[in-house]
Amino acid sequence: MADRVVLMIGTKKGAFVADAAKPRKSFSLRGPFGGGIPAYSTLIDTRGTPRLYASSCNPFFGMKVLRSTDLGKSFKETKSAPAFPKDDGRAVANIWSLEAGGGKKDLLCGVEPASLFRSPDGGDSWEMVAGISNHEHARKWQPGGGGLCMHTIVRDGNRVHLGISTGGHYLSEDGGQTFKPSNNGVGAGFAPDPYPEFGQCVHKIVRTDRAPGRLYMQNHGGWAEWTGPGGPRPDIGVLRSDDYGHTWRSIAKGLPSDFGFPIVVHPHDPDTVYVVPLEVTTRTCPGGAPAVWRSENGGESWSRLTKGLPKKETFFTVLRDGMDIDELKSPALYFGTTTGQLWIGRDGGEKWECLFDALPPIHNVKVAVV
Amino acid sequence: MLGALRTYCGGAEQLQTSARTVRAALEDLERHQFALYRNICDETGAVRRHLNVFVNTENVRDLNGVETKLSPGDVLTILPAVSGG
Repeated sequence: MADRVVLMIGTKKGAFVADAAKPRKSFSLRGPFGGGIPAYSTLIDTRGTPRLYASSCNPFFGMKVLRSTDLGKSFKETKSAPAFPKDDGRAVANIWSLEAGGGKKDLLCGVEPASLFRSPDGGDSWEMVAGISNHEHARKWQPGGGGLCMHTIVRDGNRVHLGISTGGHYLSEDGGQTFKPSNNGVGAGFAPDPYPEFGQCVHKIVRTDRAPGRLYMQNHGGWAEWTGPGGPRPDIGVLRSDDYGHTWRSIAKGLPSDFGFPIVVHPHDPDTVYVVPLEVTTRTCPGGAPAVWRSENGGESWSRLTKGLPKKETFFTVLRDGMDIDELKSPALYFGTTTGQLWIGRDGGEKWECLFDALPPIHNVKVAVV
Repeated sequence: MLGALRTYCGGAEQLQTSARTVRAALEDLERHQFALYRNICDETGAVRRHLNVFVNTENVRDLNGVETKLSPGDVLTILPAVSGG
């Protein structure tokens, strides 16, 4: 019976694991794992015996994947890490996403430069997924501020959604064999064409089991004031799809900024979705006052959740994988900041409390009940 | 051998090679110590950007790169570049 809430926290100095009994009164912290090396991605794989994974993105000695089979008491390197074929000409510069694949031990991994790898054995061996890694568009994608990264992998049966910055949203409907750009309604702010076929700077995509075809996207917004070719692009930053990602429409009206990185959907209510709007030039909390914004009607309107959060003089960033939500009956949100704070938002974000105040800069937060 | 790398070559502090160039020494590693090699060179075969390779006390960057010749008794040392943060 699942009775522990487990958090994985990927930071600039390695991965941490925190856990608590279900009431979530008190979390204990272990780590850092990975010897001070940045962990850009983490995964809690709850299929069968839980396995915890962290990417270990070593600027000196290359990429590794760490795995724990004892709920984060210890981690070991897997036997290999994603690597391009020798004659490909590309080299893996970062591991940006780890997700459970279709088979019992399958893993998927998105890397920089934007490419996808698949492991059939829990991370011990890897093969490049040619359908997207060698896509005819791949050599045309441009790096965003974080590099040319494949940061989002969302599986939905035979569908695989990928988020690439800057490549946009790519969709496979044959289990990941072939991919097509699927950006109808997804705006781009840094190209003369406001709605190109591909090349958008998608920041994050999430789906929900509770509404077939429903996805939400945090895109690179902040282009309402643009006066150059193509004209202003207001509200391109927060989007919704109801047809499995074939078309998208804006749901950004009512937010203080359509720029942000993470987006999270409620585990039991497909109409409840959370974002962290950021001021576009500094990419920090608007007005120095952090807030998570929640819509309870699928993006038609938004409300500000701030109880317990600082009221002023706070300028952190929450990165694209820096927020998650657990699946308990009254779920809690969790977000980590670039200033090393880990916050919990109990009762669906109604009441915030800082769990850990001085971790290294946080890249990602994942939660599972195991 | 730097401590962090010894885990990839069975704990060895030093390895012997009869290679006549730095490139040949790296190719030797690729054949016989692949896990160690992957830490030193990326998939394209290039020495990783933040590593320095010395022949005796000279950085190969100031010699002839990976084409630098090796003679019997030379010591090849691989070290991470100085960094912080």
